[in-house]
Amino acid sequence: MNESWKSYPSGSFFDELITPQGQPRAAARGVVRLLQKLPGHEMAERRAAAELAIQEMGISFTVYNEAGNIDRAWPFDIIPRVISARQWQAVSDGLRQRSLALNHFIQDIYNQQKILADGVVPADIVLESSNFKPQCMGMSPRFGVWAHICGSDLVRDGDGRFRVLEDNLRVPSGVSYMLENREITKRVLPELFENYSILPVDDYPSQLYQTLASLSPRERRRPCIVVLTPGIFNSAYFEHAYLAQGMGAELVEGRDLMVADDNCVYMRTVDGPVRVDVIYRRIDEDFMDPEAFRPESLLGVAGLMRAWKAGNVAIANAPGSGVADDKVIYAFVPEMIRYYLKQKPLLASVPTWLCMREKDREHVLKNLDQLVVKPANESGGYGIMVGPHSSAAVRRKFARLIEENPRNYVAQPTLALSTAPTYIDDAVEPRHLDLRPFILQGRDTWVTPGGLTRVALTRGSLVVNSSQGGGSKDTWIVEGKA
Amino acid sequence: MTMLSSVAERLYWMGRYLERAEDSARLVAAYNHLIMDIPRAAELGWDVLVRILDAEPVFYQQYRVGNEQNVLRFLMAEQDSCASIPFAVRWARENVRTTRDVLPEETWEQINELYLYVSDAAEKSVGRRNRQAFLEEVISRCQRVNGMLSSSLPRDHAHRFLRLGHLLERSDMTTRLMDVGTGEILGRAGTHDATDPLIWTSLLQALSSFGAYRRMIGPLVEAQEVVGFVFQEPLLPRSVAFCLAEIRAELKPLKNHERAMRILNRGRRKLGKLQTEQMSREALHAYIDEFQALLADLHDAITASWFHPDTP
Repeated sequence: MNESWKSYPSGSFFDELITPQGQPRAAARGVVRLLQKLPGHEMAERRAAAELAIQEMGISFTVYNEAGNIDRAWPFDIIPRVISARQWQAVSDGLRQRSLALNHFIQDIYNQQKILADGVVPADIVLESSNFKPQCMGMSPRFGVWAHICGSDLVRDGDGRFRVLEDNLRVPSGVSYMLENREITKRVLPELFENYSILPVDDYPSQLYQTLASLSPRERRRPCIVVLTPGIFNSAYFEHAYLAQGMGAELVEGRDLMVADDNCVYMRTVDGPVRVDVIYRRIDEDFMDPEAFRPESLLGVAGLMRAWKAGNVAIANAPGSGVADDKVIYAFVPEMIRYYLKQKPLLASVPTWLCMREKDREHVLKNLDQLVVKPANESGGYGIMVGPHSSAAVRRKFARLIEENPRNYVAQPTLALSTAPTYIDDAVEPRHLDLRPFILQGRDTWVTPGGLTRVALTRGSLVVNSSQGGGSKDTWIVEGKA
Repeated sequence: MTMLSSVAERLYWMGRYLERAEDSARLVAAYNHLIMDIPRAAELGWDVLVRILDAEPVFYQQYRVGNEQNVLRFLMAEQDSCASIPFAVRWARENVRTTRDVLPEETWEQINELYLYVSDAAEKSVGRRNRQAFLEEVISRCQRVNGMLSSSLPRDHAHRFLRLGHLLERSDMTTRLMDVGTGEILGRAGTHDATDPLIWTSLLQALSSFGAYRRMIGPLVEAQEVVGFVFQEPLLPRSVAFCLAEIRAELKPLKNHERAMRILNRGRRKLGKLQTEQMSREALHAYIDEFQALLADLHDAITASWFHPDTP
């Protein structure tokens, strides 16, 4: 065993690769054995090779600060995370079920609102949410599906059980990094692939293409699909371009599109206007159409909602999908599964206190130092308070925020997030991580084998977002014994 | 497969900037050779390079003297001067960054490597010792991108607009270079007999056409022959005639090409009328000026016809 692994602590959290006894878990045995045999200097060389590959492949994300935009190289840890295919199958089934129920819910909310009438979900939290878009009432997109691309964040608790932490139904990102991570691992640790049967991830773009193509309002052999990006300065621009290329679709900005008098969407091309069938929207719906939402938006396309409501163009995710992407609504997903699908939820979620409920709020305010408090309506890990890591001043601030706007806050127990061996400086140390699989739903439903593993590179930290010092790992779903 | 106007525009500029990076490197490399060969008395200044690239106003905002160090820093290492190699490379990369989805996968990697190389090496290469190696590396990396594109990019709109940018930039740089030979840019009066062949030879070298000249015309380098060769030789890929013929071939299949075609045909007629035998230096200089104006018109026509058409 090389030096870097010697002091790897085991037992304090659930570790993805190492048992509390310090042995590699069955599915990870091959990976761990091989990496432990690598001389220390070779670990460093492989890491350098990965960094070089990332630089050359131009994998970057954009970080905003006062000085302007900086393109940062994608932080990547070379030690893959390994999950057995059997275990993954159960998670995958759970995700499929969840996505189905969420789409039933959105379809119901913008049509009959039965779930509200039956009192399963309180009407006011849905109808008063800023994510509920009255403009979408009465719409019924193809297959009744609104959220075609869903990125759910999973964590594993102290027992190693997968739990859903949240569902991103607006414009979830990160899938291109999942694909690139695999490419990098193939380049820098090719020998790991010799004795493993690892489920490939690289057919994501074609799966996405099929999902989007199934939404086309016109029956055509090759519908015209575009990826709508806010532009080069968006932090996920790299991904927008990557997916457009993977699908052979056009990458467009708002100014490339227009809605004509016939309520159809056209893109401006060198051959004149060409009709668009499906828009994979990577801009927030509030900026999508200045006519229907924010009038000052320069990113959008005037009249897009009109075209969508006339059924002349499909938009993924459909405007209004965000109504199910809210940390208050999250608490009701198990109920939705029972209500719409008459099934038991297959995947656990995290107990959630809703500050809007008086009893819950009392509990939250009393136990702020134990809980994680989240705004109901933010993404990217912004505005979160991790109780046990917070100062008294921050807790006072959150107590005030909660009192002022209880609807906007939820709290969850601080989970003992799982860890995995991560190569930091010249030692292998445990770091906390999560997992974002992607669920595609159109005519069919499909779940990525694995997903994007994000890892908090700072010791003890639970925040995995790349904008806040997070990195990522290749995620392997492996079949059979290694 | 059609193409977004905005993408076509970026590809066009990518073609222009990549060609500009290569041609600028060629220009500096050839001049570098020339300066070592020329007798001291002839006193060719380095500021000639700035004039060829029409960059005098910008240059003199930053520098007081047009000496070797300043001019080469300006052309080889300055990130923000629009006439520099790093600037052209950066904008070629920026345009690829936003058109990755229509280009072969390796394009981004290669252009990004070129960018990283230039960012890293430019500053260290202004001095005489590393200069030539740097310029050669830039040229060969540009050629690598062009070679990869020409061997794997489907001959659709992506190729067409890249090629239009590339050809237009090449015609522009070629005519600029020829203007050096007219002496106007050199700013010298009197006879040029001793240095002329050296200058014309270095111009042919900058166009990577010296070998072709020797084979097709002969070993003696004479002004009129060179001008005729570089403007009118239909078989020479860097000649103006060749570029215009290729531009024509690319314009032909495009819808809405009438305006650009008209200007192009005007250029071809103008080229046909060039009589190098009796032409004075002044007349050649005036001719080149007019030709450059025509190329600018062609650029405007391309922009108006395909990149910013009126909303229908």
